[in-house]
Amino acid sequence: MACLLAASVSLSGCVSSRIEQSRDATTGIAEGEAMVLLGRASYNEKQTEESFTECIADALNQGSNPIRLIPQEQFKDDLYPWFEPRTAPTSADELGRLFAQPGVKNRIDDANVRYLAWIDGDTITIDSGGSMSCTISSFGGGCFGMSYWEEDASYEASIWDLQSMTSTGQISADATGTSYLAGVVVPIPILARPGNAACKGLATQLRAFITGES
Amino acid sequence: MRVVPELNKIACFSPGGGLRLTGIVLAMALVWTLSGCTTSVVVEGSVPTPLVAKIPAQVGVYYSDEFRNYRYQEVIRDSGTWNIDLGSQNLTFFDNLLETLFESVAEIPEPPLTREKMASLDGVFIPRIEKYGFLTPGISGLKFYSASIEYRIALYDKAGQKVGDWNIIGYGKSEGGMFTADEAVNEATVLAIRDGGARIAIELIDQPSVRAWIDTLAPLQPEPTANEAETTPAGASEAVPEA
Repeated sequence: MACLLAASVSLSGCVSSRIEQSRDATTGIAEGEAMVLLGRASYNEKQTEESFTECIADALNQGSNPIRLIPQEQFKDDLYPWFEPRTAPTSADELGRLFAQPGVKNRIDDANVRYLAWIDGDTITIDSGGSMSCTISSFGGGCFGMSYWEEDASYEASIWDLQSMTSTGQISADATGTSYLAGVVVPIPILARPGNAACKGLATQLRAFITGES
Repeated sequence: MRVVPELNKIACFSPGGGLRLTGIVLAMALVWTLSGCTTSVVVEGSVPTPLVAKIPAQVGVYYSDEFRNYRYQEVIRDSGTWNIDLGSQNLTFFDNLLETLFESVAEIPEPPLTREKMASLDGVFIPRIEKYGFLTPGISGLKFYSASIEYRIALYDKAGQKVGDWNIIGYGKSEGGMFTADEAVNEATVLAIRDGGARIAIELIDQPSVRAWIDTLAPLQPEPTANEAETTPAGASEAVPEA
């Protein structure tokens, strides 16, 4: 039983991922300059998960060359009401108009924010099937059968340079993976985590993009 | 953030019968408890200060008791009764919003005001909550809890004539997975208030009738500097000869 439990914890499914980058301008970040990651939230049925932007922020904060990040909530509060879901600029072309508002440019300069990365996308289940049933009786119980679900994580980061008020490029990350739940007396999950793979891929590429390494 | 989940108290009793009867009674009590569950949410969240240009006017604001103590109750099948108290958060939010939006704001009793009370004011601002509602993932079929709040705000000039009134709807949504249901409804409601406030902060000054009202206002006198205050007697004004 202990072996089965250990196996269920350690098993993970396969994920295939693809990262693409499109650069519009040269980049680089000086010491003290900061970046903000903002999840796009529009009022339809989709929204970038907060956990995804937090995952990227954690990845960018780590390593030998961490990028200084301003927390999303702090940035939105400091610049309220200009970065709310329905008032935020939708393209870098709108930055000029936004910075003409009283206090906005000063507030961004005070925080020394150089780059703004909009994270847009989500993880959805695209297929699922199989069946599994679990029973319990006075003689014991167990689960038998197998079910699976396939998830697709598709995200894009649009990076704006707030100093030059231009778009510097986009990075997209797509990852798909199929998770299984096999019932052999105890249920054994074999989990694929495409969201996690997309996060790590996007964070690595974003760091290289901002520092000008790629 | 303070969320107060609250369960109805169950009056348990021992029927004094056999084990089977006790089991049935307990099962019924469990079903009754689950269906009669009441969730109370006292909405609390951040109150950001808007970064906008001030409207150069001194206004009075009237908050009705309904606005101050706004509560919403809804019975949802499968999730019980929801009591949502958003009055306090809403009042704090509007206090902060209006203080930033106008040159000066004073709370006033219910209009109409006497001429004396209106003497120091350029206008009167009255916010109301028309509607509030929320959706759980069980109802919407989406991954989110969502909330909407419809405000009706009215602005009157010094003479008591209506400058305009506007309906503004704020929306908010919160991921269900990260919070418990009551925390998610709290978060969605805070975001809905915030969204409505953002629209008021940005759009009010762009309304043609508000612009026309601002044009009628006398420019506010700047505060005298320390030197001026020393040399100019209080209440005295200096006549400036025309060229």
